[in-house]
Amino acid sequence: MKLIARDLSAGYGPRSVFENLGVELPAGAFTVIVGPNACGKSTLLRTLARLLPVRHGSVLLDGADIHSLPTREVARRLGVLPQSPLVPEGVTVRDLVGRGRQPHQSWWRQWSDQDSAAVHEAMGQAGVGDLATRAVDQLSGGQRQRVWIAMTLAQQTEALLLDEPTTFLDLAHQVEVLDLLGRMRDDGRTVVAVLHDLNQAARYADHLVAMRDGRVVASGAPREIVTAELVRNVFGLDCVVVPCPVTGAPLVVPA
Amino acid sequence: MRVKGRTVAVSAIILVLLVVAFVVALCLGKPYVAPGDVLRSLFGEVTPYDVVVQRLRLPRVVLAVVVGACFGVAGALIQSVARNPLASPDVVGITQGAGLAATIALTSGAAAVVIAPAALGGGLLAAAVVLGLGARHGLAAQRFVLAGVAVAIALRALTEIVMLTAEPIDGQRAHIWLVGTLAGRGWTETSWLAITLLVLLPVLAWAGWALRTSALDDDTAKGLGVRPVARRAGLAAVGVLLAAMVTAQVGAVDFVALVAPQVARRLVRAERPPLIAAALTGSLLVVLADLAGRLLFAPTQLPAGVITAAIGGPYLLFLLVRRKS
Ligand SMILES: Nc1ncnc2c1ncn2[C@@H]1O[C@H](COP(=O)(O)OP(=O)(O)O)[C@@H](O)[C@H]1O
Ligand SMILES: [Mg+2]
Repeated sequence: MKLIARDLSAGYGPRSVFENLGVELPAGAFTVIVGPNACGKSTLLRTLARLLPVRHGSVLLDGADIHSLPTREVARRLGVLPQSPLVPEGVTVRDLVGRGRQPHQSWWRQWSDQDSAAVHEAMGQAGVGDLATRAVDQLSGGQRQRVWIAMTLAQQTEALLLDEPTTFLDLAHQVEVLDLLGRMRDDGRTVVAVLHDLNQAARYADHLVAMRDGRVVASGAPREIVTAELVRNVFGLDCVVVPCPVTGAPLVVPA
Repeated sequence: MRVKGRTVAVSAIILVLLVVAFVVALCLGKPYVAPGDVLRSLFGEVTPYDVVVQRLRLPRVVLAVVVGACFGVAGALIQSVARNPLASPDVVGITQGAGLAATIALTSGAAAVVIAPAALGGGLLAAAVVLGLGARHGLAAQRFVLAGVAVAIALRALTEIVMLTAEPIDGQRAHIWLVGTLAGRGWTETSWLAITLLVLLPVLAWAGWALRTSALDDDTAKGLGVRPVARRAGLAAVGVLLAAMVTAQVGAVDFVALVAPQVARRLVRAERPPLIAAALTGSLLVVLADLAGRLLFAPTQLPAGVITAAIGGPYLLFLLVRRKS
């Protein structure tokens, strides 16, 4: 599934975070959005996922304007994990992951075997199967993050948009989550994530989008666009870029 | 998620307690009627107690059940939408709106049939004002409750003014109305409330399902294909309608809508009040409160609203103290 933003403007109150922004998120690829704090990554992701209204321009989901499609239909095709979701009090892991089934249910047909299977599978994929009966508000930040990922997976959508899914995770779990997203891409899904670690972004992304001050500075394959020049331009950091000894992806080393 | 075993078990236990309380309420009083005689009379045998059981006590106890259920569900809905255990119709001004309208009707010599519709209108109007004030900030829970408390206080003060400046006899009638009582009420009020509940039944079935996303933040809910603002408005409207309707019929039986949903929530250990358990708990509470009001100072009868307020006050304090965590 392909997502295209055309001429997009969005923001909060009187202030626009970005204006006339254009970006293409290729179908079946793992796209990573990077950029310094407060440059508008979350705002872009929220607008792409129709959580925030557009002021101008449009977001096209396989060619159709996402803001005019029925929101439930969109939820069956595109799952989104916001940056810091509010944890409901006293809800168990299985129960919260089950909410991911909402777009597939209705009040007269509330729960099916298919729902149970999807929840079970999602908890397994996100590695929270053992936590099924625990209260989410009593988990560690990293466990909680994986529960939210499981909820998004339970939605069983072709596209996944995740805002900093690896924050709060230790390095091993970060890699685990990124590998999981890579497998989702291998299954044919379109994956879009905001990440703050440029090296992880360069390693995992098929397509990288670099933002600064509400503008897309560069986009393309990491091996083609990640240069010392770009890093200085985007993050204001002097560095050298060397090939990663393991994967050959560009590796940013601060100078 | 499927209904949890614990929810079913707790609801079943409360239902059993309610049935017991129901029969006990038919037994106790003057004259005392043995449970066996109560049951025989209920199930159609002719007994010497038919007048006491069927005419005097049954309508009132049935009304107590229905009233409690309405308050319990109304409170559960409004508390869930506001994500705040304090946000019940009697705290956020709906009851007070109904009270003011009823007081104006009672003291201006309006016909008796006008009083319930007036109270209903007053309750809905007050809710509209509170929601209007709170909704400007997306129903952010704290603001909504604060707006409600402020409106409730203002309406209460207005009610006092109307009562004190009216003819003493009218003021007295208004006062009795304001403290909700089931004395002298029965099948008529029960029918209205039962019809309301029946008509709302499909809506309540929807509400029970829709509430599942009420504890999620708006971004998460939108991501799941929900329109959170519209959903909250719908749920709140159902709760407000029930609260205004029941207050219009029996006056302000305070604190039932506040206490019942939270007791039910704690018993089932859920993140929000479960509708059915809240309804059953509300029924149990009102049946017991009305019974206590009848017996404690017999032959003087205390309105059920006085008893529930006496329980609710300390409970409110308990909530406020606990809320710090
Ligand atoms: N809910 C909000 N209300 C008002 N301003 C916001 C809100 N969220 C973000 N902003 C502002 O918008 C800008 C971009 O924020 P954001 O998209 O969250 O950046 P990033 O995710 O890249 O760190 C920031 O200046 C931030 O202060
Ligand atoms: Mg962000």
